Amino acid sequence: MHKESHGFFRQLPSALPGLALIIITMVVIRLWVEPWMAHTKILGMEKPLTDAFHLNYILLGILCGLLYRNVIFGGKMPEIFVDGFKLSRLMIKTGIIMLGSLYTFSAIVQLGSMAIFLIGGFVIMTIIMVLWLGKMFGLDRSMTAVLANALSICGVSAAVATSPAVEAKASHVAYAIATILGFGILTMFISPFIGHELGLTDLQYGAWIGTGILNSGQVLAAALAFNPNVAPGTAVSIAEIWNIMRVISIPFAVFAVTIWYWAGKEESDSSGKKKSLGTLLVEKFPVFVIGFMVMVFFTSMGAFGDVGIKGGPPASETIKTLRLVMQWIFGFGLVGLGGFIDFKELRQAGGTPLKLGLIVGTTKYVLALAVVYLIKDYLVSI
Amino acid sequence: MSYNNIVVAVDGSDASQEALDHAVDLARQSNASLTGIFIIDTQWADFIGNDWQSAKGARQGFLDYIRKEQEEQAEAAHAQFEQATQGMEQSCFSVHAGDPTEVLLAQASSDNTGILVAGRRVFQVSGRPSLKSLAATLEKKASRPLILFP
Repeated sequence: MHKESHGFFRQLPSALPGLALIIITMVVIRLWVEPWMAHTKILGMEKPLTDAFHLNYILLGILCGLLYRNVIFGGKMPEIFVDGFKLSRLMIKTGIIMLGSLYTFSAIVQLGSMAIFLIGGFVIMTIIMVLWLGKMFGLDRSMTAVLANALSICGVSAAVATSPAVEAKASHVAYAIATILGFGILTMFISPFIGHELGLTDLQYGAWIGTGILNSGQVLAAALAFNPNVAPGTAVSIAEIWNIMRVISIPFAVFAVTIWYWAGKEESDSSGKKKSLGTLLVEKFPVFVIGFMVMVFFTSMGAFGDVGIKGGPPASETIKTLRLVMQWIFGFGLVGLGGFIDFKELRQAGGTPLKLGLIVGTTKYVLALAVVYLIKDYLVSI
Repeated sequence: MSYNNIVVAVDGSDASQEALDHAVDLARQSNASLTGIFIIDTQWADFIGNDWQSAKGARQGFLDYIRKEQEEQAEAAHAQFEQATQGMEQSCFSVHAGDPTEVLLAQASSDNTGILVAGRRVFQVSGRPSLKSLAATLEKKASRPLILFP
């Protein structure tokens, strides 16, 4: 059996060149490019790159990652950098665990209940819409099942979790993933712009993209691109609660869609292939969510001092340091994720999955914005 | 024109049958050896590299699942090749692992290859969207003679 990774410490020496490239990129962006953008004048306009295009270190980091892979290295990361770029996933997971220091349990309950309401409604609506459209377009049943979960919950993660359970063909999964990534990347770049133009608050924006953007990686990036600050009440603190709710729902959605898929099959086909909810929870539940909750527990107990909630005492030095570290970690991680976006794959996506993905993705994206606008008076910040 | 060694890309699908049949005819006419190749795509981990939040078990389970499907496809390709080359003495089938575009391009540029025969949709049956441009890459970069079937 092929193993993708061999443990952090064994992988570290071979990861150093890639890590060095990521770190140097982000240091140059934060220490030189961002300050330059904040003072530069282009064609008589003051700070157009930050004020008109809303560029910040997050978007620049992703763009650099994209540029490395698709332009400088001609479509493929050189072997020497691959292991380092792989570690970007671990960096982001570490950042999300540390993000737990933004919340107390009461804040989680407050935000989580709003998130459950929105996420739950949209997941159910999206699954029904995909199953109906899949039937209308005559899509293969396993492809429909993969798209239903991928478009309703966490994009690529949901596709990865669902595919083996519904016997999806590799080519079907590939087209579903390319569709979701393409749509996610588009929305990642346009959402901060729309959010600023509409004058959305961090809370409204976080709730919107947390519900409306298909892929979780792009939710994180779009939140930090809107407001790079990491503090209670900022876009990332809201959007990531939505994200966590989506991640938690993966095993349940896989279970539900698997039941739908096998219901249309002969009983003998399904014997030994259907998995119980308990098995799915063990296999598909991401451990970093537990790390995040442990961090929330310590924060609630006051282990890191005051968290700096609006109207309360200022954040402690420990919390301030944690937030600074998080900004850098997310910056590094997103340069790495940019390096995994391959335009060759996205360009070639097409056919019915793309058509269905665009219909459902656009509906979800626009409807989420409309719903957040309608319920904005009921959204309570932390 | 005669060739010493003919290489044909086979994936077990209907799309590769026409190319395989032509390669067999060509090998018989030229009394050449025929090599059938299938490539297991190892680029899937990179393809889903953007996904940071999957559980380790879910990610590895997915990669194992894709690998298993490709190994089954390799068996189908082998059976298709054996069926088409019945009675031929100089024929062999090999399974490679790597990026299908790179491996096939290396074959199409190797001095050991007399001519490479492939269908334009070869390996798309189990492949990533970018494999749609595999044939175009071969046309552009292969240094050995090449026959591509629609």
